[in-house]
Amino acid sequence: MRITDYKKQKPAENAKDALAKAKALQPVLNAVVTFYEDTKQQADAADAKAEGLLRGVPIALKDNVSTKDVRTTASSRILDNYVPVYDAAITEKLRDAGAIFIAKASMDELGMGGTNLNAYTGKVNNPWDVTRISGGSSGGSAALVASGVVPMAIGTDTGDSVRKPAAYCGVIGMKPTYGRISRYGIIPYASSLDHVGFFTRCVEDAAVTLQVLAGRDDRDLTSSFEPVLDYSNHLDDRIEGKRIAILDNVQNAVKDEESLKQFDTLMKSLRAKGAVIEHITLRNDLMQALLPTYSILANAEATANHSNLDGIRFGMREPGASVEEVMINSRTKGFSPAVRKRFVTGSYSLFVENQDRLFRKAQKVRRLIVQELEKALQNYDAVIACAAGSIAPHAEDTSEEKLSQTYLVAENHMLLGNFSGYPSITVPLGFVGGMPIGVSLTAKPFEEQQLLNIAAAIEKETGLADQTAEVKA
Amino acid sequence: METFDRAYFKKLAHQIMFDLSDQEIDELQEEFKVLVSQMELLEKIDTDGVEPMIYPFEAETSYIREDKVTHVLSAEAALRNAADVREGHILVPKVVK
Amino acid sequence: MSFETVIGIEIHCELKTKTKMFSSAPVAFGEAANTCVNEVDLGHPGTLPAVNKKAIELAIRAATALHCEIDPVVKFDRKNYYYSDLPKGFQITQQFHPIGSGGFVEIDTDNGPKKIRVNRIHMEEDTAKQFHLSNGTMIDFNRAGTPLVEIVSEADMRSGKEAAAYVEKLRTMLYYLGVSDVRMEEGSMRCDVNISLRPYGYESYGTKTEIKNLNSISNVQKAIEFEMARQSDLLLHGQTITQETRRYDEASRGTISMRKKEGDVDYKYFPEPNIFPIRLDDAWIKSIQENLGELPQQRKVRYIQQYGLMERDADVLVAVKELSDFYDEVCKYCKEYKLIANWTITELNAALNKRNLTIQENPCDPKYLGDMINMIKKQEISGKQAKIVFEEIMNGKDPQKVVEEKGMKQMSDSSALLKIINEVLNNNPQSIEDFKNGKDRAVGFLVGQVMKASKGQANPALTNRLIQEELKKR
Repeated sequence: MRITDYKKQKPAENAKDALAKAKALQPVLNAVVTFYEDTKQQADAADAKAEGLLRGVPIALKDNVSTKDVRTTASSRILDNYVPVYDAAITEKLRDAGAIFIAKASMDELGMGGTNLNAYTGKVNNPWDVTRISGGSSGGSAALVASGVVPMAIGTDTGDSVRKPAAYCGVIGMKPTYGRISRYGIIPYASSLDHVGFFTRCVEDAAVTLQVLAGRDDRDLTSSFEPVLDYSNHLDDRIEGKRIAILDNVQNAVKDEESLKQFDTLMKSLRAKGAVIEHITLRNDLMQALLPTYSILANAEATANHSNLDGIRFGMREPGASVEEVMINSRTKGFSPAVRKRFVTGSYSLFVENQDRLFRKAQKVRRLIVQELEKALQNYDAVIACAAGSIAPHAEDTSEEKLSQTYLVAENHMLLGNFSGYPSITVPLGFVGGMPIGVSLTAKPFEEQQLLNIAAAIEKETGLADQTAEVKA
Repeated sequence: METFDRAYFKKLAHQIMFDLSDQEIDELQEEFKVLVSQMELLEKIDTDGVEPMIYPFEAETSYIREDKVTHVLSAEAALRNAADVREGHILVPKVVK
Repeated sequence: MSFETVIGIEIHCELKTKTKMFSSAPVAFGEAANTCVNEVDLGHPGTLPAVNKKAIELAIRAATALHCEIDPVVKFDRKNYYYSDLPKGFQITQQFHPIGSGGFVEIDTDNGPKKIRVNRIHMEEDTAKQFHLSNGTMIDFNRAGTPLVEIVSEADMRSGKEAAAYVEKLRTMLYYLGVSDVRMEEGSMRCDVNISLRPYGYESYGTKTEIKNLNSISNVQKAIEFEMARQSDLLLHGQTITQETRRYDEASRGTISMRKKEGDVDYKYFPEPNIFPIRLDDAWIKSIQENLGELPQQRKVRYIQQYGLMERDADVLVAVKELSDFYDEVCKYCKEYKLIANWTITELNAALNKRNLTIQENPCDPKYLGDMINMIKKQEISGKQAKIVFEEIMNGKDPQKVVEEKGMKQMSDSSALLKIINEVLNNNPQSIEDFKNGKDRAVGFLVGQVMKASKGQANPALTNRLIQEELKKR
């Protein structure tokens, strides 16, 4: 069902059905941290609205979206008892548009991870094969959309945390341009890389969602003044004349033959429809540097961003004889080992004696990477590649050879969108062994319409709009 | 260059207010090896004359917030999430300066 | 062997804004704990900073008065450390790009004026206030996020007296500019002093100590003088100075070690990613700079050069902005500048003291005082009468009315006076005789008689002149 279908039905029915399905699937998917208890009241409020782009539509929020009076944990133990006193900018926008919040979705703790294995409430299972991971960090949101619980869920994307789980779960995952959607009230990971994004099952719903979320917010000084367009009404799936560049660095690094084959088939059919499809290769040393650059920048910003989590003003406070002990005990117990280790790495690269070699070096490399992408996009409307190197792995198979080309490039190329802030989307491409795969598209800043239009053309070719994983409760 | 021994990581962790178990430090030592190799990928890239990129976009902004009170919490809301409150204040164990 | 003292000063000043540096919650003193905060000030997850325009304006005012160069692109950085009064675990400050740099302040010393260079002035946010009890610490976040400027001097001062003069100069200046309340006792202005000694003629600096949180100008001087003696004593006994943070203890009038510095703390400064560089409008900066208002030094010069005041009186007036503002108000209604200065400095202050009022609570209407001084000048009332009138002005009364009600008005009407004078002359033929025989004191006697006959209302000068004229006629 699409957003337009939901809008034809009674909000109360939508809310009831979605909540029931979410609860029924919870033992199977483990995608939810907190269920909303006031869905009936929300539905009534939506019903009372004359209009709204999401009037009466049930949706899920990633658990790092601040929701007043509703527990928000970012899947971290340290925030297990945290009940925000304010709404995120997007929480307000969604409510104003008539959306009904059903659940706060599981994520990798504080957004730090790509598997959703590192959530305080445990692994999120992939709706297409529950033995496999959903991907992360917005895994809960991806699983709830893929399994048909809700037509749209909010995610956030710092590395590829919307787009990767979208590819693994066979749904659309979009992060628009940095600044397009306000980050006020989003529990951060790394501020200069964090984007609000979302999952849907069709491009049309993505366009509607973007229209709701986009826009300037004076509480986020990095938010953009660019006008918001009527993306859904301007959606145009004609691909003729569009210039699309295949990112060969990625295609060469992907080892899965079936994925490559389906990708080529798609390119051929787009070409047949009149698209200009060409190949580009970015500097491979820069492509290999994506992940190290990201590790340094993201962890450094994260360690500072999460210094507020000390158990003093909110969150889980552990006892201690002094304030320092309280902080140390709360943070030791409150963060998983994985997160603490990332903080150590981040802190290390910020030491005054290391900044030139690590933090500032990474910032300089970031500039070179962005310049490289900018140059490539000068002649094209979008860059395209396989979203991931493989289908969603099993939990135990997630550690790969960390220095291989496959890992460094095929699994991490979507970082390009975070470094540059350029809009980026993953669209379902097909299935390999019963598991979904996707393609990734990236366009120039604030060309979300262009991106959505190309995505719509791809969706038309693949015929994979509106697909839902049948999950047995 | 640091030796990345246990004491080093323990001290580093304490500066950012948490402990690491011995096992976590062992893991970190392994991860730092990967990190160091990944850093070498960075070091190979010539960044002479390149300015650090701090923000995705470098268009300067001109917006500044007007000095008007628009949002204040009640004391109840401000203190609601604190583990220990006394006389309208957040209470912590005695701070020794 | 004696040493040269080298002093540098860092001053933190709370800016006079309505809202916080990065949030729209109110800045207020004396409110109930934790009632002037929002989620930004508490460092709640997901909050973002939004820079206060007024804080930038005030920082530009201060920077301009300090002759600093203004950076038209405002940038912020994070200073990372953990403390219970620091909600975010970092303070947003301007480490790498201060809004103002390379300025100076001129102070008066025993050897004439001296320039103290100002390294930088930058904006940042204040921390929460902590109250230490026997069994815990209570935290009030009302102060958290209050806008501050930090003004860092070069190590250009050489004595406690110079340091005190520098702080006083800044304090007055910032107050005049409306930048800050500069109440040191209440902590809206805080002073940290770095001090080291070196043998005269040496270029390099000795090991310094830092004295934190001095809460009055006199304590600045006392703490420095104590520290000079302490360090000198140590050095003369062949001991070394420990680099450390100390505080001034008022009870013992000495400095006490707070903590040793184990090398410099690494605050891991890095640029604040949530605030894009803000390009300030040149016209806006210019309009702020052109409307600074009169600074104390300019006002003093005006008083001396235009109003002809003594330097000492000008200093007394300028030292207290409200007193000097009042003086300027009175000067709008009366041109007797020196007389106004006397009345303002002596009589007004005395009257306020008597009533236990501060200058901020001054009930005296400047127009009334001006009117009264005009009456004195026109000899409508005597100096003695003026004191009575002034008392009534302090009670809010119009001097014209007071003079009328009390029947004080001097007779300056020649014809009316002449009538009385001629009556007096007619009754005192002996005095006329004496005058003609050259006895001048006869005039004084006659004036006295006229005053008596007029019940003290005769204008003495006029009376004197008229009597002389009448005597010559006889």
